[in-house]
Amino acid sequence: MRGAALAVLALAAVVAVGAANNVPHLTQNLASQRGYELVEDQSASSTEEPAGGNHKKDHDRYPVFSVEFARVETPFIIGLWIFCASLAKIGFHMTPKLSKMFPESCLLIVVGVVIGVLLFHTSSGVQVSPLTPDTFFLYLLPPIILDAGYFMPNRLFFDHLGTILLFAVVGTIFNAIAIGTSLWAVGQSGLFEFDTPILDMMLFGSLVSAVDPVAVLAVFEEIHVNEILYIVVFGESLLNDAVTVVLYHMFEAYSEMGPANILPVDVASGIASFFVVALGGTVIGVIWGFLTGFVTRFTHQVRVIEPIFIFVMAYLAYLNAEIFHMSGILAITFCGITMKNYVEANISHKSHTTVKYAMKMLSSSCETVIFMFLGVATVNNAHSWNTWFVLLTVLFCTVYRFIGVMILASLANKFRLHQLNGVEKFVMSYGGLRGAVAFALVLLIDKKIVNLQPHFVTTTIAVIYFTVFFQGITIKPLVRILNVKRAEKRKPTMNERIHEKLMDHIMAGLEDVLGRHGNYHVRDRFKRFDTKYIRPWLIRDNKGAEPKILETYSKLTMKEAMEYMRRNASTIAAFPGTESMSTLFRNCTQTNMDARWGSGVRRAQNDDPLFAALAQDSFSFTQLDSSVQNLDMQELEYNPSKKDLTDAKIHHLLSEELCKPRRHRRLSYSRHAVNDRDLSTQEVNYKMHMNMRHIISGKHHHKRSKKLNKEGKPHVSFPGITQNGSVKQFTHDYINEMLEESDSNDVDEARPSTSGLNDGPEGGIVFTAKSTPTNTDEAVVHTEDPHPKDPGKRSSRADSEEEAVHVTPTATETVLPWKRDDEAEQCTFPLKQQEFPGWCSNKEYLAYNSPSSTFLGGLDQPKVASVIGLFRRESTVDQEMARADAAILVIEECPASPVPSVVVCGTPPAPPKRPSSARRGSLLELGASVDPIPEEEAGTPESSANKSPPWAQRRRRKQGACSSSYEDFRSNV
Amino acid sequence: MGNTSSLLLREDEIAQIQEKTGFTPNQIERLYSRFTSLDRGNCGTLSREDLLRIPELAINPLGDRIVHAFFQEGTGDSINFLQFMQVLAHFRPIKKNKDLKLNSREQKLKFAFKMYDLDSDGKISRDELLAILQMMVGSNISEEQLTSIAERTIFEADQDGDQMISFAEFCNALERTDVEQKMSIRFLN
Repeated sequence: MRGAALAVLALAAVVAVGAANNVPHLTQNLASQRGYELVEDQSASSTEEPAGGNHKKDHDRYPVFSVEFARVETPFIIGLWIFCASLAKIGFHMTPKLSKMFPESCLLIVVGVVIGVLLFHTSSGVQVSPLTPDTFFLYLLPPIILDAGYFMPNRLFFDHLGTILLFAVVGTIFNAIAIGTSLWAVGQSGLFEFDTPILDMMLFGSLVSAVDPVAVLAVFEEIHVNEILYIVVFGESLLNDAVTVVLYHMFEAYSEMGPANILPVDVASGIASFFVVALGGTVIGVIWGFLTGFVTRFTHQVRVIEPIFIFVMAYLAYLNAEIFHMSGILAITFCGITMKNYVEANISHKSHTTVKYAMKMLSSSCETVIFMFLGVATVNNAHSWNTWFVLLTVLFCTVYRFIGVMILASLANKFRLHQLNGVEKFVMSYGGLRGAVAFALVLLIDKKIVNLQPHFVTTTIAVIYFTVFFQGITIKPLVRILNVKRAEKRKPTMNERIHEKLMDHIMAGLEDVLGRHGNYHVRDRFKRFDTKYIRPWLIRDNKGAEPKILETYSKLTMKEAMEYMRRNASTIAAFPGTESMSTLFRNCTQTNMDARWGSGVRRAQNDDPLFAALAQDSFSFTQLDSSVQNLDMQELEYNPSKKDLTDAKIHHLLSEELCKPRRHRRLSYSRHAVNDRDLSTQEVNYKMHMNMRHIISGKHHHKRSKKLNKEGKPHVSFPGITQNGSVKQFTHDYINEMLEESDSNDVDEARPSTSGLNDGPEGGIVFTAKSTPTNTDEAVVHTEDPHPKDPGKRSSRADSEEEAVHVTPTATETVLPWKRDDEAEQCTFPLKQQEFPGWCSNKEYLAYNSPSSTFLGGLDQPKVASVIGLFRRESTVDQEMARADAAILVIEECPASPVPSVVVCGTPPAPPKRPSSARRGSLLELGASVDPIPEEEAGTPESSANKSPPWAQRRRRKQGACSSSYEDFRSNV
Repeated sequence: MGNTSSLLLREDEIAQIQEKTGFTPNQIERLYSRFTSLDRGNCGTLSREDLLRIPELAINPLGDRIVHAFFQEGTGDSINFLQFMQVLAHFRPIKKNKDLKLNSREQKLKFAFKMYDLDSDGKISRDELLAILQMMVGSNISEEQLTSIAERTIFEADQDGDQMISFAEFCNALERTDVEQKMSIRFLN
């Protein structure tokens, strides 16, 4: 099925490309149909010319719509290719079975072939392969090699440089000559039925013998063999480029000259040119690397352009080497290796991330495109297949690879501390994949000089296919069967870093004692030189001798901080920049965990609960600024200053903050810098807004609580936090109070006819907390009750703020659905919530911005505890009941001052008459129009006060501490 | 020179050293020639000064400690060839079939551990670690920063909470490190 999808995809791509190819013709046809006079030379500018003619003749008016594809043809097709290739890549990774079995490179080639076949049949004309040697060498290859060089594990590479060089130089030469001569020898027997000149065969041998870095990377990155194996094979594939280039050019030149004209001088200069090409490329790369380091030393003022230097200068190194016919691959590899250490020390952390991802993106897309092009290029009609030639080439390639590796590995083992064992030798030979470099080189051969070029192309493709498909697919299971030591990716710990450094010093010292100049000695020397002379020049603020230790330290500290924040998500609140409404609540929670503060709250509650809530609120805000350094929430201490409290009051009064219209996205714009503050500010407002909306709506709580019940496990768990029931409960109540307030405001606004009866200066808002006996099912309904209104109204809340303050007890209840006892009507209301925008129910969003563990934890519990629910419920039940169990909080508008003074109106048994009766009266008046819920399960006031209702009992069973402290809280109130 | 110096070693001495350290006779002779070339006083022993006279070792940040490690085995201020060889034997690559005690993983780790443990109480204290760090990192980094690094390092390895790294903890911390490779040197035959 996936395959079908891919085919469709490929087809679509083909159609697009085909259409693209046809468009110029179409336009031409159109042009001629319209009677335009086409100028003779219409090759490139065919679409422009008619316009000119048009103007002269004045036949047509200004065109509303015109097609001009020719102008964008090339970049458009390039873009299309990259797009298709990347899409194909996505496709593979969506099919785990496929991508598990086959390496990506194989699949890409297959897709390429499919597209190639389609292209071949759709376009009648000569299909030029998109993979020209120039495209390959100038655009596709450099990013891959730069990526390889830049992220090369330097130390490992230089530790094994000897072995790598041995394989890259001696191994490649051996392979080239062996394959060339063997093919020539077989050719002498007449098996191939064509002439096999020795020089042509050597040319072919030299290009087909080189292990290809792209193919090796593609396969080895997937099989995760141990790093030594990886670096040896991969290093070989990188460094053999010089050999391949030299051999290739040498034999090409020789076959041009003809065997008769070759003088010993030519051979000698061929060998000499090897050193020029290899060393020249390396030197150019190193110089550009140092230059890059030097340039980045001065980029700290313009951070945004830091990454470009790395890319451009490395690319320049590559091109620079190519100018002199030196090994560009070596140049860019060493440029990457050299610049890395200095650049990393200079650029900012963000630039580092940018460089890393940009490089990975470029290299992986280039790799994708290369393999895909390889597939496409396979399909053409210029093939000339010779079975014996192909078979023998494949055979020789494999056999000589094995022989070469075995001999050279045992040679290398004589000088190596780490001995390459048999399995490793096998994997090294088996991993000698051929790839696009060989293909590009074979395309470069001039057909006029080497008649066999078509044969070579076909055979090269066959060899590539054999290595990439057969070896590429089988190497994974083989590595598993042979039990090759796998790589373990990990970051060094502090101990490892320091102790390993120590060991390096010990070994260097020991080599000195022994009077030997080994690896450690050389490295030590270079390091000293580097520290003393190079680093001061290339690095802005030089950090001393062991930058790695510092680096590890800062990385680990950073990681730990992140980890800490991740685990104790609620403490993130303490950091500025992540403030959100939920943060505020969370802070309340934490605060309450502090015993002292907890008692403080209780004390405050005793005389003024809402004020206490306000104080908490203000605490949260001060906390945001002051507690950055205080990670441990147990240590939070709160000493509310007068200013804090005033702030809190003011804040509460103008709680616009919650519903402030979203600010403009960007506060400032600079082309040369990205101001993080701007972004984060925006984000915070957005988040706060979001959180508020979603808290108010309560929808998610409901939704998720349902889900949680189903799954039986919490959505997010924070192992570090033990949830304190009382705290949670308190927070809930507090939130609900907040919500209640907003609700009433909203409803007031929405239905002015039902409210505002008591509008007046002494008007206040009644908050009642009341528990009613009810069952859990109802409770679920309750939780979603608070928002039968349109969420859009929230945004206008700020405008209604003024009004809201003056509003009397609201008639929320009258319009709330649960007041009607028929179930059917209740059920209709949740539907309304579908009006919420999509992001409201976006789980991603919830996962990251959900209020906190405390909220989520609370979801496990029946939501009956919700004050909102109780409040609503209560109003429908009779007055006695209400008095028995309700906590009534009243904000009264004080005529004297604009700041509302907050008063507790009473404890449940005896609520103060004046405000409550007034409010209640109004409520009842309004409520009269709606059918009251029969209070069948409502107990007597006394009984409900003393023995808790069923839901509470259930809760208590579940979470003793929680409910008991809730009771405690209530009784305090 | 190698020939002349090898003459100074008697067969039984070579055999004894071979038995104790596991070096091959060839290696022993080669190392003996190095030993004698370091031995400026021709007294058959090496003093600290002899070792510190090696220019490279003198600028090795840990040079002092390394030299000191050579003299831990012996009693006095000088070491003879056997003691010299015994120290070097720690760094022989591990071969599977022959296991001599001196070049085991544990011995290698022990050697590294002793680098830190100046007072030989079997534990690396914060100050000892700090001293090494100062030697390696140099003076460009503030004392404060180094201290925090040292503390962090100890915290990471410390399992029993005594704010020190014991040898067992040290081994644990380096569990994943290829100590066998890292602390081995290829002695020429």
